[in-house]
Amino acid sequence: MRTGRNPAKSGLEAYTPKELGVALILYIPSQDGYFANALEIFKMQIASLKAATSQPYDLLVFDNGSCHAVVNALQELYKAGEITWLVLSRHNIGKAGAWNWVFASLSNLYIAYADADVLFRPGWLEASQEILKAFPQAGMVSAQPNFYDVMDGKGQAQRALENNPDYQAGSYQPSIEAIDEYCLGIGATPELAERFHQQPLPGIQHLPTETQAVLGASHMQFIIPRSIARQVTPLPATKALLRAETMSLDSKIDQLGFLHLSTRQPYVFHMGNTLNERLLAEFQQITGATPEIPKTDPNPQRQLSLARRWLSRIARTPGGQRQLQRIYNLLFQVLHSDNR
Amino acid sequence: MRLGQNPAKSIEHVPQPAPVTVAIVSYIPFLSGYYAESLEVLKVCLESLHQHTPQPYDLLIFDNASCPEVRDYLQNEREAGSIQFLILAGQNYGKGGAWNFIFQGSPGEYIAYADSDIQFFPGWLERSLEILQAYPQAGMVSARPLRTPAALYSSTLDWAKTAEDVQIEEGSFIPWEVYRDHVLSLGTPEEQAREWYESRVDTRLNRQGVQALIGAAHFQFTVRKSVMQAFLPFKMDRPMGQVRALDELMNTAGWLRLATCDPLVRHMGNTVPTAERATQPAATSRRRIWDQPVLRRTLLRIYDAIFRLYYTR
Repeated sequence: MRTGRNPAKSGLEAYTPKELGVALILYIPSQDGYFANALEIFKMQIASLKAATSQPYDLLVFDNGSCHAVVNALQELYKAGEITWLVLSRHNIGKAGAWNWVFASLSNLYIAYADADVLFRPGWLEASQEILKAFPQAGMVSAQPNFYDVMDGKGQAQRALENNPDYQAGSYQPSIEAIDEYCLGIGATPELAERFHQQPLPGIQHLPTETQAVLGASHMQFIIPRSIARQVTPLPATKALLRAETMSLDSKIDQLGFLHLSTRQPYVFHMGNTLNERLLAEFQQITGATPEIPKTDPNPQRQLSLARRWLSRIARTPGGQRQLQRIYNLLFQVLHSDNR
Repeated sequence: MRLGQNPAKSIEHVPQPAPVTVAIVSYIPFLSGYYAESLEVLKVCLESLHQHTPQPYDLLIFDNASCPEVRDYLQNEREAGSIQFLILAGQNYGKGGAWNFIFQGSPGEYIAYADSDIQFFPGWLERSLEILQAYPQAGMVSARPLRTPAALYSSTLDWAKTAEDVQIEEGSFIPWEVYRDHVLSLGTPEEQAREWYESRVDTRLNRQGVQALIGAAHFQFTVRKSVMQAFLPFKMDRPMGQVRALDELMNTAGWLRLATCDPLVRHMGNTVPTAERATQPAATSRRRIWDQPVLRRTLLRIYDAIFRLYYTR
């Protein structure tokens, strides 16, 4: 039975969400191989977000079934007050499954999403907000020029602007540095990089405010108004990371008549899964903190071993690469995949 | 930069959500005073849930900034595999705020909500779902018969009177012991409980052979997620006391508010039930002194003041 009166009923103020909610989805099943630096990179992301965001925000971290050590590290960040809501999912419910969660449940007016390997630079929020303000039809706004049209040219929503005198469409050629940086972030092949250098991006301008944007947005990082996020969920979610499932977000946004837009300057950077001197230097510049040095192989002799050299040679051949990838993925599934 | 391909892309299938998400909100800011036994109560809640729920379900716990001991317990339960989704809020988000989060985010087609001081008994979910399926207009179904204010179930009664395939009976269908057990768990004196019991009757419905009593409560209920969406978001500027709006909204919108005829859940309050307790502390004469109304009110005021200091620090 209840003894006494619940003191929480005494009319205390409860917490009210900020205007901006940032949602990060994390999946680090182990701390080796592809994921060896993933936790450090995620910590750098949170630190850069904090340093580069000029307005108050709530931070939701959705952990999609990471390993014990990563969950412990998240708990530490939560205890230190760096995370507003920590969602710990026992299983990996897929990126689209986690989106279903965060888009449906966050009460903030604007939801900023980012993969767990994105570096934020000062001005990312202001630049995104400027576009949201100038383009009331904006459904998704990325803080990096969008180079890859996920809609494959089939997007319809922007057609509504064609006869609107307030908007003017035109090509936009990003700087060589911006293209190189994008290519570096995604690990683009020289052929793909060349294509990005040759092909200008579809630009659009809001004439009354002179706000410029690129048509298209990226899944890696974007802001979506809550009202639109609510309309696009639930998304199909049967796989951990499937383009067709994440793309359904884009098609729904487009079908609803909302625009995919991005900034013309790169205010975020895709760190990926490797650390390098340039990245560490920029991180230090943004946060003022000294980043942790990535792990190095304590036994340099190992790098010289015959077997390793032999395997490296095989890995460089197309057939060998495919086989090693297959073995790696198989091992990954055996070790980390969970089927209830 | 990205080196290699993310092996997550090779995962063929991810677990699909269970049809039912059992969602529990916990808030235990410290383990003394009002909350002295709350962690033990929470343990009884989760243990009884696992013991008496054979159907597939995902368990979601929204912890509204409880103390480290409670968070550690929940984290251990998650690691043991008994919690599928654990949400740790950095601050008290209020019960309404937690509801906004869980009712919008829960992946199940049905959401079975419970406060963290509810004990579950065999058949609670099966019977709740049976009612939801037999009564298509059912909004919320509690797994315990209750006598709730008539103003909150007027739509249910109106619907039942006009539905051709529903039989209605009036009478005293809730045994005194069942009624007493619940009302006393809310801290109501026994004389008051007796008076209420004798002054009111129950309304029992029967549709397709499935019986249900009119009336539901927001401390425990099962609801279709699609029905709940219409009532969100809730106002959430206070930790408690605003969730009753759901009862009113659901009634106004014409959804039925029903309950099982048998007590399949129990409100434990902030003390562990006798059967679950190894030793029961005996009442003392000193206890009776603290029970004096004036003294109690004064102590309660001091207690609330201390709580506020703690909460707002």
